[in-house]
Amino acid sequence: MHTGELATYRDYLDHYRGVIERQCADLTPDQLATRAAQPSTLSLLGLLRHLAMVEQTWFARALLGITDEPRLFRESGDPDEEFNAITGTRDEVDEAFAAWREQITRADAWLETQSDATMAEELAFNRDGRVATKREVLIHLIEEYARHAGHADLLRERIDGRIGL
Amino acid sequence: MTLTGRFEPSPDKGELATYRFYLDGHRRILETRCAGLTPEQLAEHSMPPSELSLLGLVRHLARVEHYWFRMVIDEHLDQPRLDDDDPTGGFRSIAPTPESVAEAFSRWDEQIAYAEACLDGLADTDLAAPRRDRHGEATCVRDVLVHLVEEYARHNGHADLLREALDAR
Repeated sequence: MHTGELATYRDYLDHYRGVIERQCADLTPDQLATRAAQPSTLSLLGLLRHLAMVEQTWFARALLGITDEPRLFRESGDPDEEFNAITGTRDEVDEAFAAWREQITRADAWLETQSDATMAEELAFNRDGRVATKREVLIHLIEEYARHAGHADLLRERIDGRIGL
Repeated sequence: MTLTGRFEPSPDKGELATYRFYLDGHRRILETRCAGLTPEQLAEHSMPPSELSLLGLVRHLARVEHYWFRMVIDEHLDQPRLDDDDPTGGFRSIAPTPESVAEAFSRWDEQIAYAEACLDGLADTDLAAPRRDRHGEATCVRDVLVHLVEEYARHNGHADLLREALDAR
């Protein structure tokens, strides 16, 4: 347990990246692509792709200001493409993991440049002029990961009965 | 159904205020997920084989609020945990009656009221203050508050799918 602000956020963010990794481990591409909570189109692979997008949106686009690279899983114009356009092939799974890990590596490199003193710094996050602090972006990322881990808990239990991952 | 709320910026940018904004937001999400359902629906294990239910989540989170605010932050580790006799931590099957539902929500409200009074007594300068959990492990006020946000968020992930299975809301 760390007591500092940034270190606390990093601990929880790393924890949830690990949770998602364990929830997706030891399954076939078919199982990862299973829509286990129909009528929802949610699947573990969809969540992994979504979280790669989330990392890109917040770390690359909002915090690093990189807006000229193509957004992940946004080729078809479907706003839920990362969930809906899944076929369940090995290549698709490998691609999702590679994209997610690439975003995490870049995110962690940015986190290394930060300190408790930068957490109150503000950034514009929307065209309406509202601002967010770096602190609230990181807390938001933790709660977004946690909520999706909650979805993944129930999906995984339906796929092979595993709980407590 | 929207599975994740859109990002909403906290109106107050202070550190403690930001934690309170998110904690409060997650309490309201759970409340919304439970709204308008019958006692039977609230108690239903609607995502089998999981034994989770929305009512079980409400009971569990009352216990979570009690433990972290009263026992850890306010340092009353000598007191028994809420539902100390329940090995399932609040998820034990409960008779789905209007009375059991009312009792679960009133206990949750009571713990939230206690938590809010506790939070009113804290300032940003208290966040690194050391605390011990019931296992004797070192923690601090900040770590407890961030933990509460992520624990609520994960359970709200459960609540999202439990509710969707009940009425595709």
